[in-house]
Amino acid sequence: MKAYITGVATTKFGELWATSPRTLAREAVTDALKDAGLVVNKVQALFVGNMLSGMLGGQEHLGAFFSEELDIRAPAFKIEGACASGGLALHNAINSVLSGQYDTVVALGVEKMTDHKPEDVATALMGAGSEEERAAGATFPGLYAMLARVHMLTFGTTEEELASVAVKNHYHASLNPNAQFHNLLTVEQVMRSSRIADPLKLFDCSPISDGAAAVIVSKVKSQKSVEILASTAATDSLGLAQRKNLTELSATKEAAKRAYTIAGITPTDVDAAEVHDCFTIAEILAVEDLGFFKKGKAAAAIVKGETRLGTTKHLVINPSGGLKGCGHPVGATGIKQVVEIVEQLRERAGDRQVKKAKIGLTHNVGGSGATAVIHILKK
Amino acid sequence: MLGQEGVVVSWTIVRVPPTGFSSVAPYPVVIVDLVGGGRITAQLVDWSNDDLVVGASVQVVLRRTSEPTDEGIIPYGIKVKPI
Repeated sequence: MKAYITGVATTKFGELWATSPRTLAREAVTDALKDAGLVVNKVQALFVGNMLSGMLGGQEHLGAFFSEELDIRAPAFKIEGACASGGLALHNAINSVLSGQYDTVVALGVEKMTDHKPEDVATALMGAGSEEERAAGATFPGLYAMLARVHMLTFGTTEEELASVAVKNHYHASLNPNAQFHNLLTVEQVMRSSRIADPLKLFDCSPISDGAAAVIVSKVKSQKSVEILASTAATDSLGLAQRKNLTELSATKEAAKRAYTIAGITPTDVDAAEVHDCFTIAEILAVEDLGFFKKGKAAAAIVKGETRLGTTKHLVINPSGGLKGCGHPVGATGIKQVVEIVEQLRERAGDRQVKKAKIGLTHNVGGSGATAVIHILKK
Repeated sequence: MLGQEGVVVSWTIVRVPPTGFSSVAPYPVVIVDLVGGGRITAQLVDWSNDDLVVGASVQVVLRRTSEPTDEGIIPYGIKVKPI
């Protein structure tokens, strides 16, 4: 059995003060259905990826909530896996089709974060960490900062090299109408931005964002559908201290290894990848753990522009602008990544089109690497 | 665990704290390999800039972890201090 993505859509990402989660979800799902040429009563199940609606908005039971809002009268599920909620929702949506249970389902990722105070958002996000990390007063920038320091000491990675990830992703975002940021950054601007959790600075960090994205998964292919070659997930310890190796996210390696095997490809076959750059160090870890670069070799390649649009090498990383430039409404991110890859494979990505993109990969992470979800898609 | 010694394997300084930690921010958070085995994440107290180095020796102590709750309960837990 095979499964296909037949329709995709994303809302604008950003500080959307005047837009409710209902409106965001309705826009994304309506546009995805339209893209698939599907009427809503053909949808047989709804999978919602979201992390913070309970802690920040007081609303749980999101399956029923969005079923009612979207008039999808079908089994509806909320999937939570921190910042990998969107990827996990899609993983479950795909499995529900591959199992033969449903023919056509919707995977929706949605998050509303900017209505709340930064310290409350930081506290809510730390729900994805371990109890020990919360008691220490750690934050997610702090946890990734400690991963960055180990990487810097082990491989000689520099703060300027970290900054170059943000510079590249802001350039890509400047070409994406739906991205949160359209301003270009320089390494100097990143280096001068305020310190958040040393060595990470403000412009090393993805923003707090609102947004929604939706994809239609079907067992039947269509003229513009994209084939799902693999959908895998892996799990590691919640806390960093429970891991032996702090120079990698082993959940990424494990999920990727299985995904490449299932898809029958190698990392060199991938033309475009959306990876989880919640912090600049996270993109470096990701492209190494995904097998695109050897350990300790990614940062120099990123500085040289080898993963930037227009590169002479064949692989472009985060053409959407990534989490850093496009925005990171946490539950929506994993779905948005897939929307971007589908648009790239259909050659509908406009100014940020990756030339001759045939195979794309998405990499979505929850917490500091406790959850990793990989999707591999083919034209 | 109190009194156990260990070595810092990574550190950061949290400058944008979560709720309940603003009175002590900025503060270092460290990952420590304990001499007797095991690895913990903890806040570093009684620190100066010279203590912020990988390989520094620390000891586990009992301290107030965050600001008192609305009910007046003072949360206590594990932190580490330089030795």
